[in-house]
Amino acid sequence: MGASIQYFLSGLSIGGVYALLALGFSMMWSVARAANFNHGDIFMVGGMGTVVFLGLGLPVWVSAVLAILIATIAGALIERFLIRPFNREPNSVGWMLTTVAIGVMIVGASTALLGSAARPLPSPLMDEPLRIGGAGIFPQELLLPAVAVLTTLALYLFQSRTHLGRAIRAVAANRTAAELMGIDADRVTLYVFAVAGGLGALAGFLVAPVIQASTTIGLAFGLKAFMVAIIAGITNPAGVVIVALVFGVVERFIEGYFSTSARDAVGFSIMILVLLAFPQGIFARKEVAKV
Amino acid sequence: MRTGFLRKLALRGSLASAVLAAISVTAIPAAAQQAQPCIGASWELTGALAHLGRQIRYGVETALAEINGAGGVLGQQLRLRVYDDGGEPPRAVDNAMRIGEQDNCIVMIGGARTPSAIALRQPLHDMGLPWIGVVSAGVRVLDHEGRANKWMFRVGLNDGLVAPFLIDNALKLSPARKVAFMHEASAWGQGAAPFVQNAAKNANLTLVGTETFNVGDTDMTAQLIRLRTAGAESIVYYGLDAETDALLRSMERLNYRPTIVSALGIGAQLSSTAGPLANGVRVMGTFSFWGKLDPNAQRVLNTIMANNREVTGPKDLLLHSGTASAYDVTNIIARAITLAGSFDRTKLRDALYKVQFRGLITDYNPAFSPQNHDALRAEMYRMFVFHDGMVIPVEDSPYAAKK
Repeated sequence: MGASIQYFLSGLSIGGVYALLALGFSMMWSVARAANFNHGDIFMVGGMGTVVFLGLGLPVWVSAVLAILIATIAGALIERFLIRPFNREPNSVGWMLTTVAIGVMIVGASTALLGSAARPLPSPLMDEPLRIGGAGIFPQELLLPAVAVLTTLALYLFQSRTHLGRAIRAVAANRTAAELMGIDADRVTLYVFAVAGGLGALAGFLVAPVIQASTTIGLAFGLKAFMVAIIAGITNPAGVVIVALVFGVVERFIEGYFSTSARDAVGFSIMILVLLAFPQGIFARKEVAKV
Repeated sequence: MRTGFLRKLALRGSLASAVLAAISVTAIPAAAQQAQPCIGASWELTGALAHLGRQIRYGVETALAEINGAGGVLGQQLRLRVYDDGGEPPRAVDNAMRIGEQDNCIVMIGGARTPSAIALRQPLHDMGLPWIGVVSAGVRVLDHEGRANKWMFRVGLNDGLVAPFLIDNALKLSPARKVAFMHEASAWGQGAAPFVQNAAKNANLTLVGTETFNVGDTDMTAQLIRLRTAGAESIVYYGLDAETDALLRSMERLNYRPTIVSALGIGAQLSSTAGPLANGVRVMGTFSFWGKLDPNAQRVLNTIMANNREVTGPKDLLLHSGTASAYDVTNIIARAITLAGSFDRTKLRDALYKVQFRGLITDYNPAFSPQNHDALRAEMYRMFVFHDGMVIPVEDSPYAAKK
């Protein structure tokens, strides 16, 4: 029983990271039908940026805010210069290449500047694990799924109660119609990419005390988060968060009851089977195209 | 008509001979030509292992500064030509070809990864280019199937000797003889597995569990729960810093503390990321800059700190054994070139069998023999332990009694 609780709690924790990243993918895809494929590297900026500013003597919260701000601006710049010019046509794919390329550059440059060794980000929430039913979990780890759920709720309220939020929903529903209604869809898209960048960095900051910050940390997390978003139905934020948390838990149970080496193979196989059953994703809204 | 045919045939034959002669001239191995006074290097300077490349670089550059400051070798300054392979074997091969053919360096120093070193076996043989490894510990780096290894040497650990050393130490820490094995699922970890299993068998030991993990894994609770159930008291371990940090945090979650007895994959960086959790973790090696140093080692440490602002003490050197090996290798090369009397690769290779040098790790008397291209023997291996931010010899630590 203790082992099952352990896998469940550890899975929720890692699922929380996937959720925050997948939420970013969902937001980006909804408004642009494109995504920043180096979102994992933006996630890395959250952790490494905080560690670097901390090393300069700034308080941890100031360091985190600065790192998240940098990632937010990076998200906006990437949309403006690396996605928008390459996403003009309905089936454009050039943005895939540009975002992957900038990701490689970000990792290369940051490794050259900061080195590849992992760096610690101290947190009082990592001092002592909580003991729950024979399992142990650090409070910092529980923070991750909690923040993911709270962020989803906040986004829902933002999108339903504010002018900009409703504009985002309008662009996501029908970009052309939104533009005809006077909404500046390009500007809305820019804001969404900026917020997604900030969310990615927030995830990087929150998880760094658990897994340590390093310049090469982003790729694996980014890849899994994108797959989670696809499985969930990428345009449904709540669905994305649910699937991310479930996927994290499933991964840990596979490790625990099958084998560690089977984790990715079994996990990806499950994803493929789910996609076969739900080609648009489990929580996808039906999209109707008038012809 | 027949005469004309014979004349054409003779002309073609002459042309063919000329072409063959030209080919044979260009096909003379580079080893037979005079090489340049440069040491080529293919190291991990970018990517996840970039910090290891840097540790090797500290040792080589420090030795070169001393050698060139004293007038160089055979009246010439020894240059260092460094290329980045990012830990990728194909790039290491490209770099070796450039070092051997374009730069025409006299010798090459290897990087950290065993797969990269193994990929170099054929190109080094074809070019007749001596290579000396400092970290890559795989048995197959020097043990070449089907033919003698003529060009590859190592001043570092050998996984074939590491495994019995680790098993022996893990057994000392497990009164109930409950030893487990845990390794990363990489060429390094997978390659070491048969040697660990053989070493356990030779020690009349049945491992209570064998677990793997992937590079980049951040949670090891599943593996540890199984090993706890099996009663493991000590774990023979092959992994790097980041994954070891994850392992220690998982141990903390489970409140389960078997002693980790690690191969040379983890370095001083673990102290910085894991903090007090690293206390008591054993790691094998050959050298440490911590503690009281002899004047020679102190001078080398001072030079590294003087020439590299980011190094303020032993805590900033992440792989002491690797840095020390790199320093010793560079000095061995310089002395071997002097013994050879010219920048000739074959003569250098033969001189490596005679060269003597009092290094940081040991006295090399001589460093190599035609039968043994590994300079370090099992009796030179040492066990270190993490304690309060340092990695010190077990015998000098509070854990000595438990040894």
